[in-house]
Amino acid sequence: MGGEKMKGDKEIRHRPHWFEQFLEGWSVFWQNPLGKIGVTLLGIFALMAFSSFIPPLVNPMYHPMTGVDPEIYSSVGPSARHWLGTDFMGRDIFSQLLAGARIAFMVGVSAAFMSIFLGTAFGMIAGYMGGFVDTLLMRLADVIMVLPTLLVVLILASLFGQLNIWTIVLIIALFRWPGVSRVIRSQALTLKQRPFIEAARVAGASHIRIIFRHIMPNVLPLAFLYMTFRVTAAIIIEAALAFLGFGDPGTVSWGMMLQWVWKTGHMFKALYWLLPPGICISLITLSFYMIGRAMDEVLDPRLRREETAR
Amino acid sequence: MEIKRYLTRRIIQILVSFFVILTVLFLLFRLAPGDPVSRMIDPSMSPEDAEHLIAQLGLREPIWRQYLVYVKNFFTGDFGYSFHYGRPVLKVIWEKLPNTLLLFTSSIILSALVGIFLGKIAAWNKGKPLDSWMTIGALVTHTVFLPWLALILIWVFAYKLGWFPITGIISEEIWLDPDAGALAKALDVGHHMVLPMATLFCIHFGSYLLIMRSSMLETLKEDYILTARAKGLRESVIRDRHAAPNAALPVVTSVGLSLAFSINGGALTETVFTWPGIGRELVFAVSQNDYPLAQASFLLIALVVLAANLVVDILYAYLDPRIRY
Repeated sequence: MGGEKMKGDKEIRHRPHWFEQFLEGWSVFWQNPLGKIGVTLLGIFALMAFSSFIPPLVNPMYHPMTGVDPEIYSSVGPSARHWLGTDFMGRDIFSQLLAGARIAFMVGVSAAFMSIFLGTAFGMIAGYMGGFVDTLLMRLADVIMVLPTLLVVLILASLFGQLNIWTIVLIIALFRWPGVSRVIRSQALTLKQRPFIEAARVAGASHIRIIFRHIMPNVLPLAFLYMTFRVTAAIIIEAALAFLGFGDPGTVSWGMMLQWVWKTGHMFKALYWLLPPGICISLITLSFYMIGRAMDEVLDPRLRREETAR
Repeated sequence: MEIKRYLTRRIIQILVSFFVILTVLFLLFRLAPGDPVSRMIDPSMSPEDAEHLIAQLGLREPIWRQYLVYVKNFFTGDFGYSFHYGRPVLKVIWEKLPNTLLLFTSSIILSALVGIFLGKIAAWNKGKPLDSWMTIGALVTHTVFLPWLALILIWVFAYKLGWFPITGIISEEIWLDPDAGALAKALDVGHHMVLPMATLFCIHFGSYLLIMRSSMLETLKEDYILTARAKGLRESVIRDRHAAPNAALPVVTSVGLSLAFSINGGALTETVFTWPGIGRELVFAVSQNDYPLAQASFLLIALVVLAANLVVDILYAYLDPRIRY
């Protein structure tokens, strides 16, 4: 009974506190030019992703993968009919670009979400449990951290054959949690010493309850910060994989577009085809990175060092 | 000695990490769908040769015996035969290793030095337009998509302006010319190296600049900087002799932390420029299903990353006398 009452009190006190914190954080975030530019850029990409279903509805020849202009069989420069020109098969580059935005969001957000989930869970467990579990998880993190993720995915692609986009997302997530887990772990280590955890333990809360109910709310903001950096990492890895020719052949991603322009030998002839996908990958990376840095300043200025590990 | 103990511990950790990687790779290669025999034996080999190799690798024996053979072969440098080259894998990658090390180390060191230098200047001019421009420039060059940057550099400097060769590492006419001296050959390699190096440099120096900048800003708040000012030292002395060396330490750490990321970039750069290094060899091996070559290149890259991490640790212990483990 007593435990129930305590929990209730805490929640009532917690909610406005969280919401206010969010509003305050947002105003700091929005004052930062990096945050403003980042969010604006991201909004543009989100718009692109949402409107990617429109071109194929207008005319089937605008389908990014299968649509071919019946009058064009090669790469032709921009025109009113094809705003950014066509690729080597006569497919519309602009609609491919829109479809690429959707794939980038899909890959980036889902891989980041999964790796943050794993990293937060492992970090909290390692920090809270300590001892053998901690050593084991952190050694595992050390090993994974020195592996170049792109090359790992390449090796797996050679062993398991053509990977589809969700497998790629899963592999990226499995190899990108250690960075997050270390930060969350150190946070959990300090939280463990706080009186409210002690109180929860005395009140008879189980380990699982303490971890998810009392530690997790306190590490989540940090986890979200890392999520923005993981998104960029995931987008870059997928794009690089597709660029090397090991992407999912059933999807049109920006990396795939670059591979087509490079492998079909159009890169010297078709700047209208070479420029857009590269600019898009670079800008979406930049926007997530800027948002991450702006959030960084909101949350904790001491975190700046980890960024490079991406 | 404390440092000695610390380094011994690190070396043991690194060896354990390597063994884990070695073992996981073994399991992956044996447990992946498909026949491990066809994965290790060149399909174009004659049946007798194939039988000989199967016996040598122990492919028909229980899996734990195979593992022992695998570990033994690794330490005796026997990685099998490359399907594509028809030569021992170790020979193939041993030839490529210097090319990778040359390109990779020179561009990492150059970008760290330039990043430290520019980060110092940016922090010193905090809030001024110079600082803003440097920060924005660093963010942009750091996040640009590497293979695309490589293609653009090729387009501008090799194709339009014609200043540099488009791909490769040497020009045949110079290397086949018996009169060409060592200097001419070295210059030729240098000429080929400019664009790949510029690519890797662009991607890396930005992050080092940003780290140096924030670290320098922290350092400038320290008491000993105030002491230096109170002593009436010149500003440039405070900046270059008192603040910068300490502020540069996090950059050293980050070079180590971001190595895995840099290796990805190295492989992409080598592939676009057809620079004959290990990264490109791995990409090529994967695309050709040349499993022995892929396996060995991956192991060698992992070994290089681990060794480089150790070097960074040693460097750090040496650079920062306050650190005593």
